[in-house]
Amino acid sequence: MRIILVLLAVSGVSRVLVGQRWERQVQERVQRTIAAVGTPSGLPVVRRSGMLNTDEAASFQTTLAQHTPYAIIAVCDDDCSRLQLTLLTSSGSEIAKERNSESLPTLHFTAATSAVYGIRVVMEACRWNPCWYAIAVVPLRKIPS
Amino acid sequence: MASLKRWVLVGLVGCMALALAYVPPRGAKSSGTTLFVGQSRQGTPARQRAQALAEEWRNADAAVRLLEDRQRVKGNSFRTSPAIVFRGATPPPNVVRNVETVMDSVWRRLGLAETKVQVTLVIELQRPNGSADRPTPLQDRVAYLPPDSTHRTICMAYLPAGPYWTLVILGKRDARHEGFGRLAQWLQAGLGPCAFYAAYGTPGRPVQSWLAARNWDVGLYLGSSGIAGERFSSLTLLGDRRFRWFWDGVYSFSPATVACLAGRPSGCRTAVLAGAAEERTIPIASIVLVERRWWQTQRLLPGERYLGDVARTVGRDRFLSFWTSALPVDTALAATLKRPVGEWTADWQRGFVAPIRLGPAPPLGGVALALAIAVFAIGIVTATASRRQIR
Repeated sequence: MRIILVLLAVSGVSRVLVGQRWERQVQERVQRTIAAVGTPSGLPVVRRSGMLNTDEAASFQTTLAQHTPYAIIAVCDDDCSRLQLTLLTSSGSEIAKERNSESLPTLHFTAATSAVYGIRVVMEACRWNPCWYAIAVVPLRKIPS
Repeated sequence: MASLKRWVLVGLVGCMALALAYVPPRGAKSSGTTLFVGQSRQGTPARQRAQALAEEWRNADAAVRLLEDRQRVKGNSFRTSPAIVFRGATPPPNVVRNVETVMDSVWRRLGLAETKVQVTLVIELQRPNGSADRPTPLQDRVAYLPPDSTHRTICMAYLPAGPYWTLVILGKRDARHEGFGRLAQWLQAGLGPCAFYAAYGTPGRPVQSWLAARNWDVGLYLGSSGIAGERFSSLTLLGDRRFRWFWDGVYSFSPATVACLAGRPSGCRTAVLAGAAEERTIPIASIVLVERRWWQTQRLLPGERYLGDVARTVGRDRFLSFWTSALPVDTALAATLKRPVGEWTADWQRGFVAPIRLGPAPPLGGVALALAIAVFAIGIVTATASRRQIR
């Protein structure tokens, strides 16, 4: 009886996970990248994820703290081959753009003042639409007090 | 005077002979009831208006239902093959399981497993006639709601079962005679454009615009085994010369379609690329409503499986490069086929229908009779001229 229950539970889990393969792929990928970049424990990492068709864009806003270095990274699923990442001011002016790293664009930025910044991601090439992506804004060290 | 009468008589006989030869009795009268067109008799203007309004209501109702169902099923399905929703009646659980099993086998046969775009099939079972104040829901047209920017991973297919399939699905018709093979074919055909979305994802903007402009007539069927062995296609209706409506069908097609049927690559190219030059803005929640007699509005025969055959011929990778290409459709398709579109399509067309002959083609009997009349007339004139005397 227990074996049957365990089997049912396992099959239930696998069914739940079906359909989220690409989402899991980018979540695992962004997690590994955050670990590789390295962030002091206790600092909040802002994460966003979603899906886009080729040539579509998505953006969101986040607050970056003064004098804190950040790594802004974006990853996408196996079907995506080119992703563009742009950092914008709150008024929409471009501060930095990364489009040469194919499916793993990364920006390094230290804000002069604490403010709201925009981050835009463009799915430049996806061979099987839609492609999943994830973005992480990783503070690299604690804010000096 | 006698000579003049004789000439008038000869002239009249000649005219009658020509009329008999060139205006045969079979072409003089139209039956007025062609099977091909199959139009019903027109009602009064008031009735026609009521029917038009009811039609509009059915279309809008189907669109609203699809949007509501999409909202309801969002993220609820854990099936890799299409989720199935029944409307109109609640079938018993064993019937639902049976239909799901058949759909699973269809999905496997199409070579699909987990896909980025999930398909939900809404099967509208036949319900009793609606109440007097509202028409019955859409029950004879298939509708699709492709993914859009609000729901990027769900494609909805609305499939009215009608009386026949309702009875089969509910088990009220003997399955020994109907068989699940036919049910599988019906379900597979019902996937329509959603099968392409599941297999190849959302198309790039040029392909999407092209398909929307022609109401997906070249992407209605993603078969895995080609036309052979399939029981129903537009070929069954229009591609067989043994049927007396074959030529009615040919005359109803556009000139490019007829030219393609004659094996002319330029006609095939025009027929394939119709709508490709239009830059359309695709609205969010754009419903694809397939015509009742979709095979009559096709630009290729059998157009419903054209893209499916292209995909099978070129392979998944090359088809994906076409499907998601940002290039114009003609360039992207030619690059994928590695041949001019017209030539490839003419060869493809030849595989289904033997090329028809275009231009005047008088019947052999008619030609022989006309020649005989001409020889006869020349003989009479020669004989008369030889006897003519000038006094």
